[in-house]
Amino acid sequence: MVRLWVAVDLALFVVLLVLLGVAAGLVGSLTGLGGAVVVIPLLVILFGVPVPIAIGTGFVTILATSSTTGAAYVRDRLSDLRIGMFLEIATVPGALIGATATVFLTHANLESALFIALGVVLLAIIPGSLARRHIELPEAIPPDARARRLGLTGEYHDNVLDRDVPYQATRTAPALGVMFGAGAVSGMFGIGGGVFKVLALERFLNLPMKVATATSNFMIGVTAAAGAGVMLSAGYVNPVVAAPVALGTAFGAYLGSRVLPGLQNRTVRLLFLPVIAALAIEVILRGFGLP
Amino acid sequence: MTRPDPPETPAPPPVKPLPDEAYVRMTLVLRLGLGLSLAILLASLVAYIVSHPGATSASVLSGNPILGYLSLPGIGSGLASGSAEAFLTLGLVVLVATPIVRVLSGFYYFHRAGEREMTAITLGVFALLLVGLLVIGPLVR
Repeated sequence: MVRLWVAVDLALFVVLLVLLGVAAGLVGSLTGLGGAVVVIPLLVILFGVPVPIAIGTGFVTILATSSTTGAAYVRDRLSDLRIGMFLEIATVPGALIGATATVFLTHANLESALFIALGVVLLAIIPGSLARRHIELPEAIPPDARARRLGLTGEYHDNVLDRDVPYQATRTAPALGVMFGAGAVSGMFGIGGGVFKVLALERFLNLPMKVATATSNFMIGVTAAAGAGVMLSAGYVNPVVAAPVALGTAFGAYLGSRVLPGLQNRTVRLLFLPVIAALAIEVILRGFGLP
Repeated sequence: MTRPDPPETPAPPPVKPLPDEAYVRMTLVLRLGLGLSLAILLASLVAYIVSHPGATSASVLSGNPILGYLSLPGIGSGLASGSAEAFLTLGLVVLVATPIVRVLSGFYYFHRAGEREMTAITLGVFALLLVGLLVIGPLVR
């Protein structure tokens, strides 16, 4: 693949970045993968943006979209604030370590390792996205002592089932471990890592899929804020790149959630997963110095 | 002779759910923070483009225009002089600060409810976020 826009007029460059953001926000919203997964490899491959700056832009993209969708889930009581805040004690240190590792790899001129690892993580997202989501509700499992003590239980109204669904968290220790890993991946590569967070919330805490998805979305903003804080103050967020992408992504995500809700399904996700796979392979090849 | 039953371990008192007010306020924080930051970023981006005629994508990618504004004195003096770069930095700071303020509001509600463990957890998360922004980032720059 060829870098198309290496030296163009600034105004045109910004317009192209806004358009990239709109497309990424739309695709990210419709597929549920988030805009950063699309934005980061395209910034590197098409726009010639250095990897750490692309990762810094990924954080800004997440912050611009998670505040929109996160607010809607909080308003509808689908996000469990208590469980989300409890798990942030694991994702935030993970993100701080991940972002710091990225800065060190950049300083050590190991960007090619970052390229390869980014491609591998993008590929790793695909099986999780393909996995059949649980439509049925989880079986009732007694909460562990910590979950009981902290009151990690809740209830939401399921519009499809037309009834209130109670739930209670369990296996909090392994869930914290997975969340730490999810935070580290997010912090290192500037992606939301929602696939990994939902996995921990569904498989370990035993939460219903809708609550797991909404709570993951609620947490993504705080995890991104941890990574973004490090990258911004370390000088790896270039606002002339990040601002237009963030503006475009926020608009694209809005379009995806409001104007085209009928398209938000598994088919759209399946259509775009090959694109993510192609981008991942391209990034890995670049890491190995291949054209 | 039958042995007396062992005393039962008292069940922990049920934890009250967070009040509706917490959900409403946090939604408001997220919406206001996002709206404010995007408005600042849009206005300052336009100002930056207008004030840099002849700039290209290559010149933008060769460095980071806000490096001089990543300290409190730097951004303070930049904002006072109306620098587009300083306002771009401010927009990013507001965007990053929005989830941090949300964590702080969680701390407030758990503290008000007298939930010591959740209060400590949210305070810990808040402290870690500040450490990342104010300590780790500048240290590794």
